[in-house]
Amino acid sequence: MSAPIRILLAKMGLDTHTIGVTVLAKGLRDAGFEVIFSGFKQTPEVVAASALQEDVDVVGVSSLSGGHMRYMPHLLELMREQGLDETLVILGGVIPEEDIAALSDIGVDRVFTMGTSLDDIATYIRSAVAARRGEPVT
Amino acid sequence: MRWEIKPLYTPLDLQEIGFNYQADLGFPGQAPFTRETRPTGYRSQLWAMTQVTGFGTGEDSAKRWAYMLEQGLDSLIIEYDLPTTNGYDSDHPLARGEVCRAGMALDSLRDMEDALDFPLDKLNNIMSVCNAPQPVNLAMLIAALENKGKRLDQIRLMMPNAILIEYTCVGRYIFPPKHGLRIATDVIEYVIRNHPTWAPLSVVGAQLYAARANPVQEIAFSFAIAKAYIDALLERGFTIDEVAPYVRHITGIDTDFFESIAKLRAYRKVWGRVMKEQYGARKPESLRLQLMSSPGTMDMTLQQPLNNIARLGIQMLACAMAGGAYTINTPLHDEAHALPSEEAIAIGAAIHNIVAHESGVADTIDPLAGSYYVEHLTKRMEDAVLEEMEKIDAMGGALKAIEEGYFQRKLAEQQTARNRAIETGERKLVGVNYLVKPDEKREIEIFRLDDSAEQRQLERLRQLRASRDDAKVRQHLEAVRRACRDGGNLVPPILAAVRDYVTHGELCGVMREEFGEHDPNALTPDI
Repeated sequence: MSAPIRILLAKMGLDTHTIGVTVLAKGLRDAGFEVIFSGFKQTPEVVAASALQEDVDVVGVSSLSGGHMRYMPHLLELMREQGLDETLVILGGVIPEEDIAALSDIGVDRVFTMGTSLDDIATYIRSAVAARRGEPVT
Repeated sequence: MRWEIKPLYTPLDLQEIGFNYQADLGFPGQAPFTRETRPTGYRSQLWAMTQVTGFGTGEDSAKRWAYMLEQGLDSLIIEYDLPTTNGYDSDHPLARGEVCRAGMALDSLRDMEDALDFPLDKLNNIMSVCNAPQPVNLAMLIAALENKGKRLDQIRLMMPNAILIEYTCVGRYIFPPKHGLRIATDVIEYVIRNHPTWAPLSVVGAQLYAARANPVQEIAFSFAIAKAYIDALLERGFTIDEVAPYVRHITGIDTDFFESIAKLRAYRKVWGRVMKEQYGARKPESLRLQLMSSPGTMDMTLQQPLNNIARLGIQMLACAMAGGAYTINTPLHDEAHALPSEEAIAIGAAIHNIVAHESGVADTIDPLAGSYYVEHLTKRMEDAVLEEMEKIDAMGGALKAIEEGYFQRKLAEQQTARNRAIETGERKLVGVNYLVKPDEKREIEIFRLDDSAEQRQLERLRQLRASRDDAKVRQHLEAVRRACRDGGNLVPPILAAVRDYVTHGELCGVMREEFGEHDPNALTPDI
């Protein structure tokens, strides 16, 4: 039995859309993940520091007000500086298609757009984290 | 809400709920208002057609608004960007990247003057959506209209001033709830005393609905919130009949046709009862629910967005048949994608007009009255709302329910349940979990904001700061600070300050220092 997967869900900037992050936190917890929530209106500095301190496998950012192209590059840079290269970074919410390639280039592992099911997110996290840990993918 | 619906309703169902024509329906314009709040409904006057918009700088917004008025609208609903609604100037560190995005940037009176720089003669109503900093926003509108030479009695300003909704689900709050309520009450009091034809309060149930409240919760939470404002006004010496006519509501409408109709009917019926039975209101205006409807609040799908036009047609039809709304928001099929495109605005205006002039459903008042099903649903909704309101009263009212996270928890439950229903396919949404197109290509025009807007706004703010008399700015800020402390109405000192171009963020900054800030995580007490 491998260690439980720890996920930090984060909201940055002034975006206070609650539904996505609430549904995700409850759903991922029900699916057996350990979920920590950053709280609203956080800066990339706070999120990167919590990712380090909480020793999470995954940082999941929820963005619905279009601020992601501003704070995601900064967050990834801070995470790299802190040696968090192995932490999986996922982003979900209202993300225009034309931003996805740029986000992938800066190191976002996966973007989930509106309408993605909880199951798909959970399955992706399990297999991506297993691959990083060198565990067999179940 | 998914009520248990029977395959058939008969006179027995009405008998079972004790339905009585006089007591439950009566006539339009008369208690209990189930049929309509006005005697002639849409027969004498159709609903006003309006639309939410605002983006970029004041100048950018002015161009869009001029376009909207050319499309035949006579009312505007102004949205502001997140730095503005959170009480920060555009050059605040937390504002970076969000300036001009989700609405118009408003740093000073200069921005409002730019925003209103178009012919104002056709404009009858402005709804300005800026809840936590409402007194600053109100002051800027007053000063800008005056500077533009518009007589203030020739326009109607409406504001949600709906800070208690922000604590419940939207999150654009700044100060702790009790201070938020005091600030909102200052605005209402100022407007009632100085601009009695304006509308200083709209409880935005539509936001609760968008946050997945079921219809019963939407009405019950909204009315509990309305009661908190009313109680605060009564404490300031007003009588119920002086304040009740100023309380408005905005409801969200979705595609569940009969449920929407029953909801609109129950809304006005319960409001009249609450005002009469709980507050002893006597004037007919106090008992008449003043409602604006907002179709397209839910169920606007990102996938296959043209399908939303069909959904909006159904929703508008429900609004027109149920009546009772003096204004109906223009529904927009690209809601899930971005701010509205010009194409979406034109189609939304067409949907209004097709329903109004081609369908014939507004030709007679409350045409579904007497339907076994609709009456049964309306009565059940009424009973359930009153029961939920009693529960909230027992908790100590809306302010307590917010502080203790009750509303927020109930909404979170609903959000999770609805998501599950969609994921399991129990609730079908075409294009989302049913009749899905696997390789869908985007089929509509999408509004794109000019990326230079933030830089333009920052430059304007820099120029403004360089050109002002700093000593005067400080004096104004101290006057506002004194009002925060001594409990005087905040609007007059803020109005004096904005006239000298004290900024929005500076004024909110002083209030932050005096009132403190509310916990950003109070929105989601369980995660």
